[in-house]
Amino acid sequence: MARTEVLISGFGGQGVVRIGQTLGLAAVLSDLHTTMLVSHGTETRGGYVRTQVVISDEQIDSPVIESPDYFCAMSNAAYQRFRHMMDQGTLIYDPGFVTPDDSLGCKQTAVPARNLSAEHFGKELFANMIMYGYIIRRLNGKISKEQAIEALKQRIPRSLEENIKAFELGYAL
Amino acid sequence: MKKVFDTGNAAITEAAIIAGCQIYAGYPITPSTEIAENMSRRLPQAGGYYVQTEDELAGLYTCLGASLGGMKAMTSTSGPGYVLFSDPYGWGISSEIPVVIIDAQRVGPVSGITGAPGQGEFYLSRYPTHGGNYETIVLAPNSVQEAFDMTVRAFYLAERFRTPVTILADQLVTDGWESFEIPETADELKEKGLEIVERKVNCGPEFFPASDEIDIPPVVLGYNTGAACSDWTPTEEGYDIEDPVAHLKHSYRLVYKIRNHRELIDRHEAWFMEDDPEIVLVSYGSPSRVVTSAVKAARAQGIRAGAIRLQSLWPFQDQLFEKKTKYLVVELNFEGQLVREVQRATGENKDVHFYGKCGELPGVHELLQAMKEILSDQKITFEKFVSEAW
Repeated sequence: MARTEVLISGFGGQGVVRIGQTLGLAAVLSDLHTTMLVSHGTETRGGYVRTQVVISDEQIDSPVIESPDYFCAMSNAAYQRFRHMMDQGTLIYDPGFVTPDDSLGCKQTAVPARNLSAEHFGKELFANMIMYGYIIRRLNGKISKEQAIEALKQRIPRSLEENIKAFELGYAL
Repeated sequence: MKKVFDTGNAAITEAAIIAGCQIYAGYPITPSTEIAENMSRRLPQAGGYYVQTEDELAGLYTCLGASLGGMKAMTSTSGPGYVLFSDPYGWGISSEIPVVIIDAQRVGPVSGITGAPGQGEFYLSRYPTHGGNYETIVLAPNSVQEAFDMTVRAFYLAERFRTPVTILADQLVTDGWESFEIPETADELKEKGLEIVERKVNCGPEFFPASDEIDIPPVVLGYNTGAACSDWTPTEEGYDIEDPVAHLKHSYRLVYKIRNHRELIDRHEAWFMEDDPEIVLVSYGSPSRVVTSAVKAARAQGIRAGAIRLQSLWPFQDQLFEKKTKYLVVELNFEGQLVREVQRATGENKDVHFYGKCGELPGVHELLQAMKEILSDQKITFEKFVSEAW
């Protein structure tokens, strides 16, 4: 598998880092190399959060994302901050937060994770696992569904049933 | 080996426990908070002690006290706490007390940016306390695996040299997630080239001999009657004295026990250095990861680029910079610190350039552009700044 760059950004409390951790672990369980960088503000909730996940079947030198294959924007601030990087790849955004700019050169896909989570679980808490499911699906079998769920079980043992259901919702989109 | 996907902070915690760390004392700070957090959970499980102190000063003092009580000790912090170590650090150096210190560098000065990487303590780790008359040992990891390995090595060096050892990491290494291997048996440790030195007890009669000798057991208070281990200059027998001759003997020991055993400390990695590179990129810590990618990309474009990555920072490895060529030093600070040392080490062959970023790694394309500018004798430009020549 060639180097694949997945950039995920949103605000603190959305579970942005959790998506990265779970995706990274799923890659490790699939015998792939992976790195994940996390940048965040001081606040636990509400501040800016970015995670950069690189997955490859070779050793990864630079962990820095310069040309994302996937950019998952979970807030409008994140969308505005990193849209300039998207001259290729796929931009996955949550229309609950983001109004897309149609002039961008990349492919843009709406994943209404916030609304789906509220609709199915009565709260927005599981939006991140809906996004995770969708990203795994978009990786086209580079990480199997089984490994992705195994990583989820290991990384997020609490509310497992809901998280797996959220994953399935995203995977089915 | 057990394979784990976790942060540098988690790797450092597990490594410390494997190296025999019995006490952690410190004050949590981003981006090393998870070391304190993990230690508070893991050390008691391993029969050790976790102490959250009121500040960093008390943290390092508690570690030094515990080390004088015969325990292997570790603390961790970031730049704002590393400056507070200044006072206890000197005591650790002078009384030759083994301790391991982690500094996860972030953007400064002062609180700066918490969750972003910096490299501002390069010189501070050389001179962490006042007064001079000492050398320091400082290691610098660039990956989660290396953070693990170097923590085990830091304990090893601290015991053998009887001195504080700093691991100068950065936020991307401590907060970054990667898979790493944890050796589970003595054979697996050996396979990784790692060694553990058990704490020994000095029984005198000389506690601070005027020699460059290493492997002298540390002082453990209560096991002997000789060494005071106060903050004054000690005699060879360990009593306090205010005398220039005694101080000279002590200084000789603090400096030359380290300078004369460089083979145990000096470590570096080199890429593409065999064919007389026209430009050599120099770095340590997380920027070196981008440098590797950039040098490979440059080679693919026909640029004869090479790279040197320092795994140990102090004592400085002057001998790596004897080649007469162009050097580009890449750092996570804006004013340049490592670059000054490289410039000094290159002596009369000075052709040293600098590329510095604050709070984030440079991209491969930025380093490629800088290399091309240097090779065509232009000034380096980045963002809206033009870097002055070094």
